[in-house]
Amino acid sequence: MAFVSSGYNPDKPMENRISDIGPRDFNEFMPPVIKNNFGKWLYHEILEPGVLVHVAESGDEVYTVRCGTARLMSITLIREMCDIADKHCEGFLRFTTRNNVEFMVDSKDKMVALKEDLMSRKFDGGSYKFPVGGTGAGISNIVHTQGWVHCHTPATDASGTVKVIMDDLFEEFTGHNMPAPVRIAVACCLNMCGACHCSDIAVVGIHRKPPLIDHEYLDNLCEIPLAVASCPTGAVRPSKVEIDGKQFKTVAIKEERCMFCGNCYTMCPSLPLSDKEGDGIALMVGGKVSNRISMPKFSKVVVAFIPNEPPRWPTLTKTIRNIVEVYKADANKYERLGDWAERIGWERFFEKTGIEFTPHLIDDFRDPAYYTWRQSTQFKF
Amino acid sequence: MAIVEFQGKSFDVDEDGFLLKFEEWCPEWVDFCKEGEGIKELNEEHQKVIDFLQDYYKKNGIAPMVRILSKVTGFKLKHIYELFPSGPGKGACKMAGLPKPTGCV
Repeated sequence: MAFVSSGYNPDKPMENRISDIGPRDFNEFMPPVIKNNFGKWLYHEILEPGVLVHVAESGDEVYTVRCGTARLMSITLIREMCDIADKHCEGFLRFTTRNNVEFMVDSKDKMVALKEDLMSRKFDGGSYKFPVGGTGAGISNIVHTQGWVHCHTPATDASGTVKVIMDDLFEEFTGHNMPAPVRIAVACCLNMCGACHCSDIAVVGIHRKPPLIDHEYLDNLCEIPLAVASCPTGAVRPSKVEIDGKQFKTVAIKEERCMFCGNCYTMCPSLPLSDKEGDGIALMVGGKVSNRISMPKFSKVVVAFIPNEPPRWPTLTKTIRNIVEVYKADANKYERLGDWAERIGWERFFEKTGIEFTPHLIDDFRDPAYYTWRQSTQFKF
Repeated sequence: MAIVEFQGKSFDVDEDGFLLKFEEWCPEWVDFCKEGEGIKELNEEHQKVIDFLQDYYKKNGIAPMVRILSKVTGFKLKHIYELFPSGPGKGACKMAGLPKPTGCV
């Protein structure tokens, strides 16, 4: 398309420049019933999976219908959401912190009509556009990252893995069959953008090979001290190499000290390490952020490696399904996955799920690793 | 990667317009860049920032942290933005010929 100016003048870039205005005030976008009862809610109920009602001191009710989204979406789909909001909700809608979309109405009849409309909308391929669910003790949306869609450091894909996991666990999104909510998160590398370190089940992309070193370009593209300082195990050191009689400043990597985190590639474009066969997924379980009953927990690695199998990642979905099923059958009410594993003991967790315990799972990172070993005779055979 | 020609000199640059080789830097590079960076005329203060960035890079192999840049030049961050509207990384480092900033930027 030919260039169409927005009115910005490249010759005078600072002229008429508006900056530091921040986001719009959220009050501008509140449905009237929310605005009128702000801070005056008495109680709420979950009427059915995906549908909540909040009752205010004034007696006002607001019905919320929560729908799953793919997070990565086109303007066309956003427009369709706006059409739904215009039709049923006076043009108001909101997104949740897990990237679900919520439509709010002020009466039960409107809610029923809205829900029916939402469930009737499908993509040409057959997927629901707005599946209703994600409330209570189920499995809500998956917090995830960029993957192969946009990032340059991933070890796996995000949108793809999320779609196959949610397909597999769809009836848990539209139901309340779990002992407690199960939060799943996906991060495509160890940077763990998002919530992997504190989710009930976490999918994390990992590498298994050290970086390649682009000696000829490294000094030009990288600030060598940064690459050295980026390494958590001290495997990177500055060095010099001679190629075709020319001296190049570069780095050397002690491969036996490298654990393939990829931090040095983040800092230095000349140290790429992604690899088709080497890259894959580590599964972590047992994290949570809430303070309910037990303190917040980090998730722990239970499967060291699952290969990348695009486009459907069958091993990954099977492993997650297995963990979810065993947890569902065995845990007490209100028990999060981490609470359950800690109560029965991790050796029982591995026994019940049938997951193989490998040496990779034993912490060996610096002094704190010691505290993850068992200094007790208390264990089950 | 692209090669740009300017006033008889040629520069190897990447898609963001950063020099691929610090050694290729010369005063013409600054003249070439300034327009894209929204700078009309270079004054002593611009030069002071560029000189310091280059000295620091030659000596330490990294770009200085913003607080070091501020402290040594005596320019507050706000003033650095007035000098280089794209900021110390995209603006000043590019004009000084330093490598492109990396990390989660």
